[in-house]
Amino acid sequence: MPDQRLVIVDGVRTPFCKMGTDLARLGADELGRISVNALFARTGLDPQLVDEVIFGCVAQPVDAMNVARVIALRAGLPEHVPAVTVHRNCASGFEAITQAYERMNAGHGSIFIVGGAESMSQIPLLYKQSAAAKFSKLARAKGALQKLGVFSRFRPADFQPRIGLQLGLTDPISGLNMGETAEVLARERHISREEQDAFALKSHAHAVDAKEKLAEEICPVYVNGHAVLHDNGPRPEQSMEQLAKLRPVFDRKLGSVTAGNSSQITDGAVALLVTTEQKAAELGFKPLGRLLAYAYTGCDPARMGLGPVFAIRKLEESTGLTPNDADVIEINEAFAAQVLAVLQKLDNNVPREHLNVNGGSIALGHPVGATGSRLTLTSLKELARRGGKRALVSACVGGGQGAALWLERD
Amino acid sequence: MQTIRREIIDENICVLTFDRPNSAANIFDRATLNELDEHLDAVAADAKIAGVILISAKPAIFIAGADLHALGKLGEGDLRHFIELGQNVFNKIAALKIPTIAAIHGACVGGGYEICLACDYRIATPDRATKIGLPETKLGILPAWGGSTRLPRLIGVPRALDVILGGKTPPAKQALRLGMIDEIAPREHLLRAARRVIARGVPRRKKGALQLPLVNAAIGSVIVPAVRKKLMRKTRGHYPALFKALEVVTAAASSWNENDSFARERDAILELAKTDACKNLLRVFMLQERARKLVFAPDVSAPPITRVAVIGAGVMGAAIAQWLSARGLRVILRDIDAERVAAGMARIAQLYDAGVKRRLFDKREARDGLDRISPAAMEVPLDNVDLVIEAAVEKMDLKKKIFAHLDELAGRNTIIATNTSALSVSEIAAATKNPGRVVGIHFFNPVHQMQLVEVGIARETSKEAAQRALRFVQKIEKLPVIVRDHPGFLVNRILLPYLAEAGRFFEMGASVADVDEAMLDFGMPMGPLRLIDEVGVDIAADVAATLAAKFPERMTVPNVLHGMIAAGMLGRKNGRGFYLHRKGAEPVPNRDAEQFRESDSAAHVDRAELQRRMVLLMVNEAARCIEERVVDEAADVDFGMIMGTGFAPFRGGPLRFADASGITRICAELAHLAEVAGPHYAPCELLAQMAESGKTFYEN
Repeated sequence: MPDQRLVIVDGVRTPFCKMGTDLARLGADELGRISVNALFARTGLDPQLVDEVIFGCVAQPVDAMNVARVIALRAGLPEHVPAVTVHRNCASGFEAITQAYERMNAGHGSIFIVGGAESMSQIPLLYKQSAAAKFSKLARAKGALQKLGVFSRFRPADFQPRIGLQLGLTDPISGLNMGETAEVLARERHISREEQDAFALKSHAHAVDAKEKLAEEICPVYVNGHAVLHDNGPRPEQSMEQLAKLRPVFDRKLGSVTAGNSSQITDGAVALLVTTEQKAAELGFKPLGRLLAYAYTGCDPARMGLGPVFAIRKLEESTGLTPNDADVIEINEAFAAQVLAVLQKLDNNVPREHLNVNGGSIALGHPVGATGSRLTLTSLKELARRGGKRALVSACVGGGQGAALWLERD
Repeated sequence: MQTIRREIIDENICVLTFDRPNSAANIFDRATLNELDEHLDAVAADAKIAGVILISAKPAIFIAGADLHALGKLGEGDLRHFIELGQNVFNKIAALKIPTIAAIHGACVGGGYEICLACDYRIATPDRATKIGLPETKLGILPAWGGSTRLPRLIGVPRALDVILGGKTPPAKQALRLGMIDEIAPREHLLRAARRVIARGVPRRKKGALQLPLVNAAIGSVIVPAVRKKLMRKTRGHYPALFKALEVVTAAASSWNENDSFARERDAILELAKTDACKNLLRVFMLQERARKLVFAPDVSAPPITRVAVIGAGVMGAAIAQWLSARGLRVILRDIDAERVAAGMARIAQLYDAGVKRRLFDKREARDGLDRISPAAMEVPLDNVDLVIEAAVEKMDLKKKIFAHLDELAGRNTIIATNTSALSVSEIAAATKNPGRVVGIHFFNPVHQMQLVEVGIARETSKEAAQRALRFVQKIEKLPVIVRDHPGFLVNRILLPYLAEAGRFFEMGASVADVDEAMLDFGMPMGPLRLIDEVGVDIAADVAATLAAKFPERMTVPNVLHGMIAAGMLGRKNGRGFYLHRKGAEPVPNRDAEQFRESDSAAHVDRAELQRRMVLLMVNEAARCIEERVVDEAADVDFGMIMGTGFAPFRGGPLRFADASGITRICAELAHLAEVAGPHYAPCELLAQMAESGKTFYEN
């Protein structure tokens, strides 16, 4: 590969909290700022040394466009340090890392703050285009009479909001909601409701067991005099019976994808300090690991859940590495059905004892822009705990893509 | 020396630029007023001139008012002449038939604003440096160059009283809202904005009802008694300038004749200038200036401090972190667990909210301030911070442990400071391998209100560390006093015997009201028992115990404090102490505390006697601070006590008070009290010597 190898020096994230709970009042900029601020405190890095800030965010706050720049300035980066927000849907948190790698090798800097931030609580409700047009007419109307005239043309339906979150999770090409794409895979690959629920249950059990381990990568968030310390998605009391009671969301009559076996909708942010091997040595840092290889691939948008299969295969071609070479494997849990479909398609060649060992997005939640960075951070920390050598992290991507990264530690 | 440039620019506009040579400030002294007078004559004589603009060439000051150094020294005749000169020159501006515009950037205070009031129109920049107002009453005088006359006529009596009695100097935005200025313009466009007004003609101000003398007379008759009563309650009549200003301002607005009003201004200031209050307040002002410029070691390099870590997120730690972050510094706030950090962060957020409510900053500035704080509930590297301030609990063992650890963590050039109020810096420093970089930086509670910071220098403290700490304190807009490493430094050392005596009086049957009222009468901002409640009964007892251990022969912790602590009466923080504190209500004496009384021997001591004894104890301890060279000069003691405890500023501090009362008399009284009321009253060596030799603490 390349002249400059990217190393991940350290990382930290906010707790991941379900939409509408502990972190609901903090925007993506605030969540991102908190993670970057904590990263500086933990590493002691002088912000003056940073070359660029690259953050993933899928639903950028309307009042903080190019949210990466807002995060950077609020976290105390000097004004001269540029910042960019990147968007590859659920792989945005990977995109931030791999863009830093590409920048390094293009000679554009050596120290990057990367990560992802998402407040799914704060994705706004929208007015329909018809209503928006009437509002703008109203603003331009002169005199009370004319205003009244415009006003009389509003219909109750105009005021029915379009739910931003729902729109964002719908693929415009296939017209399918993400959950519906999971239903497609469950149907075609004969993945039963029980299999999906059992997978979800395991995700919770792993995440609950890993609470202390995960705490290492979390910085407290201080809200109204109280410290939010842990992810609030994992359910210690979760059982198959409870999961079985849930009604399918996307195909109410015959479907099998429920809220229980899908990823949670969550707020959170992750920040990573990445640099070149040489720079890390100069600054006296002992990195968590390095980026060995990565791939993004495209696939059928209606079956976007299979994305990781193609990305992992592509990496096999370029590196010769297969899932069996990994000590830690993360396949992002957008939906249990989708992960199970990936495993099937990879001919069940994935050692399950290495897969999502600290739980996945079904338990921890999936703040879309941040997840890729979280998978990277969590798996590198786990690799160190296990004394392992390589980690494979991957995610399916809405719109029909797959992403996979190979990470390595000495 | 030329201090004003006169030039004619396009459209025959005359610009008078104030630019005092070799100075960052413009001020009005006699020479400048005379020079201005000549310029104005020249302007009046030139019929072609279409308008006059007054502007300053200084980056942060328009005109800072009258030359206060001179003001303090003038005899009555000279002062009368100086006042009349100012009035006459400003009246000349007001009498010009052409438009006169004040283009204000930077501090525009006192005489600096009075000249603007004599203009037809006032434009100011929105910059932070721009402050506009009349702070004269804070110096024991009143605006006498037309300010007390013109301001009420411009903005009405109620607002004028608010500005003049409060000594307020608001920023441009607020000044515009109050009507003190007419327009805001960016600095780069200031001159253009002024020319535009001249070209278009000065807009006529809408005359409100408040400009009518009859209305003002009516308002005056209604509000004056209420205002007077409020002032009396607040100041106990110790600040005559406020009452004079009230009189002059209300009379000005209700009469047609300006000249009578100018005469009233002049007579009032001549009378006030003679008072001790005025002399002492002027002196305090000079001491503040001195503290801002104080240097400890001019020859050492003292690199600036930009990154700070505060250890301990309690009341003091959080408040310090807030103050620093509000001044643009990045601060790590470290405590041992997330719950403590959370409580500290909440406190900081409250302080910012309160600041926004009081318009000290806007919401965005508050957010930026909060963003500058890095909460740390786990160990973080400190090798990149320039200064660590330890604000942990006042326990020597704990502090030693913390310092030994900080010494390892901190970078080589990092200064490590303790916010201790009474423990020995030297002893704390001994726990480190580099005691030279350890220094005391002692903030007072509440941090955002108390301007004083004691810079405590131990024998081991290096010159560099001391100078950097001093520079730091000045940079964060606090007023430093340099104290040597003695128990309780300066302020607590003097305060504690006084607080302890107040506790003892209570113990011996004196009522809470008698003890506290006695000291409020003296001019303290708060009675001693109330102060113990505010500080926290436990904390007061802690500091008292530290001092009692060092000075057992004259300091003890009153038993009542132990009793109260055991009964859970900790003062304001839990609502019960010498007073009961309820939200939104004035505290009332707590009858439950009376169970800790030991006798009724002081029940009938009158307030004058209580006051005398408590004050004498402070004077005695203050003299000891000179005797033991805690500080170098009497002025340091007085400055520290006024800025650190609010010691009646008009009295000039405990040692100035001693001079004024007569050292011999004070010494005799102390000796007498030592016999009848306890040996802790015995006058110190220095006082006894001074009584003998007839020396005083100050020369004049």
